[in-house]
Amino acid sequence: MARVLGALAVAPVLGGAPGPGAASVAEAQPGVRPIPAVRGVAVDERLRDDLGVRLGDRVVLLGRPGDGRDSALADTVRIDAFVRRGADPSEVARAEYRVRLHLDQLQRLAAYDNRVDRFAVATRDSAATERVLGAVNEAAFGFRAHRSRDVAVRTSRTFQVVQRFHRAIGVITVVASAVFLLCILLLKVDERRRDVAALRLMGISRRTVVGALVLEASLVSLLGSALGLGVGWAVTQGINWYYQGVYRTPLLFALVTPGVALFAVTLSLALGVGAGFLAARRMARTAPLALFGR
Amino acid sequence: MRLALAAATLLRHRTRTLLAVLGVAVSAALLLDMVMLAGGMRESFRDLLLVRGYQLRLSPKGTLPFDSDATMERAAALLAAVRADPRIVAVSPILGGQLHVLGAAPDGGESGPAATAFAMGLDARVQGDYELVRGRHAVAGAELVASPAFLRATGARVGDTLDVAAGFDPQLRQYAGRRRAVVVGEGRFFYTPGEQPVAALPLATLQAMRGEEGRDRLSLVMARVADGADVEQVRAELQRRVPRVSAISTATALAQVEQRLSYFRQLAFILGAISLAIGFLLVTTLVTVSVNERVGEIAVLRAIGVSRAHVVQQIVLEGSALSLAGAALGLALGLVTARYLNAILGDFPGLPAAFAFFVFRPIDAWRALGLLVLSGVLAGVYPSWRAASLPIATTLREEAVG
Amino acid sequence: MTPQELADAVGVVDGAGRRGAPPLIRVAGVERDYRMGEETVHALRGVSFDVAAGEWLAVVGPSGCGKSTLLNLLGAVDRPSRGTVRIAGEDVGAMDDRAATSFRLRRVGFVFQRFYLMPMLTARENVELPMAEAGVGRAERQARARELLAYVGLAPRERHRPAQLSGGEQQRVAIARALANRPALLLADEPTGELDARTGAEIIDLLGRLHAEGTTILVVTHDETLAQAGGRRIHMRDGLVERDDK
Repeated sequence: MARVLGALAVAPVLGGAPGPGAASVAEAQPGVRPIPAVRGVAVDERLRDDLGVRLGDRVVLLGRPGDGRDSALADTVRIDAFVRRGADPSEVARAEYRVRLHLDQLQRLAAYDNRVDRFAVATRDSAATERVLGAVNEAAFGFRAHRSRDVAVRTSRTFQVVQRFHRAIGVITVVASAVFLLCILLLKVDERRRDVAALRLMGISRRTVVGALVLEASLVSLLGSALGLGVGWAVTQGINWYYQGVYRTPLLFALVTPGVALFAVTLSLALGVGAGFLAARRMARTAPLALFGR
Repeated sequence: MRLALAAATLLRHRTRTLLAVLGVAVSAALLLDMVMLAGGMRESFRDLLLVRGYQLRLSPKGTLPFDSDATMERAAALLAAVRADPRIVAVSPILGGQLHVLGAAPDGGESGPAATAFAMGLDARVQGDYELVRGRHAVAGAELVASPAFLRATGARVGDTLDVAAGFDPQLRQYAGRRRAVVVGEGRFFYTPGEQPVAALPLATLQAMRGEEGRDRLSLVMARVADGADVEQVRAELQRRVPRVSAISTATALAQVEQRLSYFRQLAFILGAISLAIGFLLVTTLVTVSVNERVGEIAVLRAIGVSRAHVVQQIVLEGSALSLAGAALGLALGLVTARYLNAILGDFPGLPAAFAFFVFRPIDAWRALGLLVLSGVLAGVYPSWRAASLPIATTLREEAVG
Repeated sequence: MTPQELADAVGVVDGAGRRGAPPLIRVAGVERDYRMGEETVHALRGVSFDVAAGEWLAVVGPSGCGKSTLLNLLGAVDRPSRGTVRIAGEDVGAMDDRAATSFRLRRVGFVFQRFYLMPMLTARENVELPMAEAGVGRAERQARARELLAYVGLAPRERHRPAQLSGGEQQRVAIARALANRPALLLADEPTGELDARTGAEIIDLLGRLHAEGTTILVVTHDETLAQAGGRRIHMRDGLVERDDK
């Protein structure tokens, strides 16, 4: 599959008949079907929505902005299909439109003659991939062959940066939440000092008192985690809905995976129980009368 | 006296106070970082665009400068059209392209390119793309100014002569133009990534070296508008006169880049709001619990003649002290984390080396931290007013019984 | 002018026809009710008495008879449901919060059974507290605080916090605090209630000294020694004055 990437201007044609500048029928090669006068193209959904075009509409493609439809670098085409954008992160921030044409059509419009920007090659298996890679690069025709996977790695560098950024922000918010949680639990346990004092004076052991407070902290943490999961899930739905609208892409921007959920719940439980234990132990060690303020 | 009382109250529960200050500090740091992020990209990009005072840019239709390999044809006519406007005082034409530095094969023949760089054909008198660090500008024929990355990649130094070529045709395996170019200077390029090798050559040289693809073509034209002239008006008129290009002002470019980077601004806003909420909640909770514990003391203060307003003032002072201490610590923490986060985001491929995501402005710090301190002040008002309004006799009795 | 106001203006005439100064405290038909869930508790059911300036009055009675409630009304800490409480001619029951607060700050000194010192302040700072609230300058209030602490015999302990003082010492600091703004009236609710006999006696001596210097004192107490120290006793039961031993 060869690709030509170029910038085109699109001008709508009103009415069904092709304009006088429409591409002439190319000479047919023996055994090959003749090329129709008006050929079909596929446009992406964004272009469809913004131009308001429908299937069957005719538009003029211009290889050079400002040219008339009679120009040698112009072609009247029919919209035969709409293409949905893939969930490709690398396209997210780009506001460009996409038009799919026949190769020879774009070569002519872009004055590319018999050139392409790149080839994509499908091989039988990975061994064949390596052989082809070596053979193409050795031929030294002035271009290089790359494994698709290597290209993906290179082009995903942007997202690796974003991922690292998100991770750093995540760490900071976890630290903030941990401090907040510790403080709140300390306060909540402190509020119970008179209850604890009364229990200790009655003869209830430290162990029982600490156990009861830790159990309370655990229940609060569990409940909070469950609530947080729900809120987190709802927020990701909102994020995806919003950014899919802004960037007009089916890409998922946020996802709560089982791993993420497990990590969040585990961390909040650990923090909650740990903080509760520390606070309870501190309180249980204080003399009961001191807890009463005497 | 009130200050002493507030300090004494906070020091009574050191662990709790310390944790609260820490919590507020982390919230303050995150809030400051987000404020820096929200405004930083715009500031940084604006400064970048205006580093040499060029407010207008003309690029191939429908593209941003160097967004693609497309070029503008009939360059001479384009430049004439731009210069015809008396409000435009300087015009800098630029052609971009690939430059190959050729090595020598062991057998004395020619090997493939030893290094490939991004080349900019410029008019050195009016160029706005680099700042000379060493040597001099490339003004004539086969001269070039190189970036530090270029010199590293080629192993060359200022004064060396290099075999350079451009306009490579992969089918004919030929270059459209070759030169033996002298490295006459080293420059710091504003708009290219730090790790990318870049070389600036005289415009005519690069146009000639690129052959047909470079003849009478430009990638970008920068224009400086006279002081007092309406930049937007000049832009609109240029666009009308030359519809085959896209005329972009600094404001338009900013808006387009902001739109692309809007994610970070929105993230900054959301995280900033969350930080503020956390800081507020923390102080509110601490003050509320502290007040509930001291209801008896507050009743005694009221009984000995301390007014309700003064009781509220006292408690609000405690909340403010927590927020202030946290904000001060958070400022230092925020600056450190901003540097760290900036370093992460600076790794974006293709980002100009001079671009920063987090830009510190004192006004931002005042705003952000001032907001946090204010929220700390407000956090204490309601619980303290409630406690100070409790019936004194009943509270004293309950306190005595309890 | 009502007959009462006229009597107040010209002075109280006792049984022997002698005319004295108007009473500092006049309690007339005071009732106080509280809602406790569904029930109404009648803590005071019509109490009336006068206290002259410079008197020492002890209010005694069993628990729940309304002694502390009466004290709270006199201190403008609470308001009567019916009746009037006049102190130095002012109807304290009719005061709004601001006026009542100011009254408590400047006209009355309160001493509590459990001292109620601020635990995070030193002895001197505790004594300074009412003066700071009254707007007294720092130097002046520090000097007066030291003077008051010396008066109650605690000059060497001015930098100690309540936790570092004994019960008796804490109560003496509390008395010093109550005297900070030179009140006309000292109200004490079981001032020896938390103290041992010996320490209690020290407090009684201190109160005696204050009384001798002209301070009007009203104490609520179960302590028989304290009740006898003043001379006049009011016996209360079930919210009423049962007996007034003038």
